[in-house]
Amino acid sequence: MAEQSLTMDELSVIVTAILCGTIARAWILKEDYRQYPSYPNGFLIHIIIGFVAASLGAVAIPALMTKNFIAVTFLTLALQQFRDVRKMEKESLSDLENTEYTYRGEAYIDGIAKTFESRNYLAFITAFTVSLTITILSISQWVDIAIGIVVGFVALYCLKQFTKGKTIGDIADVEEGKVEIRDSSLYVDDIYVSNLLGTENSEKMFREEGMAVVIYPKEDHFRINLDNFGQRQAALFEATRALGNKRFHFTRKEYEKGRVVIALIPIKQEIDSLIEVVKKCPLIESAKKSHSVMNTNLKGEK
Amino acid sequence: MGRESSMKPDYQILAYITMDKNRLLASSCLSLYAETEQDSKEMTVDIAKALKADVVKMTNGDYLVVRV
Repeated sequence: MAEQSLTMDELSVIVTAILCGTIARAWILKEDYRQYPSYPNGFLIHIIIGFVAASLGAVAIPALMTKNFIAVTFLTLALQQFRDVRKMEKESLSDLENTEYTYRGEAYIDGIAKTFESRNYLAFITAFTVSLTITILSISQWVDIAIGIVVGFVALYCLKQFTKGKTIGDIADVEEGKVEIRDSSLYVDDIYVSNLLGTENSEKMFREEGMAVVIYPKEDHFRINLDNFGQRQAALFEATRALGNKRFHFTRKEYEKGRVVIALIPIKQEIDSLIEVVKKCPLIESAKKSHSVMNTNLKGEK
Repeated sequence: MGRESSMKPDYQILAYITMDKNRLLASSCLSLYAETEQDSKEMTVDIAKALKADVVKMTNGDYLVVRV
C-alpha cells in the first residue's frame, strides 16, 4: 500500500507542473478585439481543458519513474482529447455562422480550431518540461522547483513564438479607400465593387455612411495569400465584428495590382479602427504559402 | 447583401421590374410591368423591403430584386 501512495517529492513535481501548465494555458488564452473566446464561459471551458492537458503532461514522468509503463498509454487519451477540442471549437463556430453579421468562413474556423488544439499542446508540453526538469535535477527541492518553473516558461515562450501567426498588416499595407457611387454601382478607388445598390436609399446610405479600405500587397507573391477567398472572408468578418454592420458588406479583388477592397456600412464610424482591424486580421493557415519553398531545387530542374 | 461565404454563390432572382413589355418573357421569377419610372422604383422598393432582398438597377433602367 505504501508503494502505491505518492511521495512528497512526486507530489510536489506533479502539483508544480500542473500549476505551470494551467497558468501557461491561461496566459495564452487572451480575449482580444476578436471577442473570442467569449468571457466568462469560454474562458472557464478552456482553462479547465488546459488543466486536464497540464495534468497529463505532469504525471507522465512520475508514472515512468515508478515503472508504471501502462499509465503512459493515457497519452494517447490526451491526443484524442485535444483533437476533440478542435472538433468542439469547429462545431461551435460553425453553428454560429448564420447568426453573425457575415460568415467567418470555413478556412478561418479551421484556423481558429487548430489554434485552440495547439494551445492545449503548449499547456501539455510546459507541464511536461517542468516535471522533467524537476525530476532530473537533484540540487534541493525548492531550487529544483524554481529551475523547473523557469525552464517550463522558457519552453513556453519559445513555442509561443514558434506558433505565432502573421497578420495581414505584415504582408500588406491597408489604406482608406475613396467610396464612389456611379450609376448605382459602388466603386472604391476606381475599383468596381458591386452593383447591389440599386435603390436611391441604399445609394444615399452608402454615400453618407459607407466606409472602405484597400489592401495593397507589399510584394507580388503575397497576392496568393490575399486573393484567397477564405482570407478575404476572414478580414471582412473581423471588420464587421469589430465595427458592427448596419447594411451591406463586400469584398472584391482587383486583378491588375492585386488590391483587395473591403467595403461596408459599419455601426461605428471609425476608419482608423477599420484599418487597424484589417491589419490585425490573422493570415489563415490554409492560405499561407512559403515563398522560399518555391525556389528550392527539389526535382533538379534548375 | 454581398455575402460571399461559399465558393458557389447562391444568387436568386426574386423579381424583375421592367418598363418595356417586350422584355416580359416567361420566367420562373415574378416579372412585372411598370408604366412609369416612378412606378417601377416604388414597386421595386416595396418588393425588396417585403422580401428583405437587394436591388440591382440595370443599365437599361429595369430593376432586379435579388437575394445573394
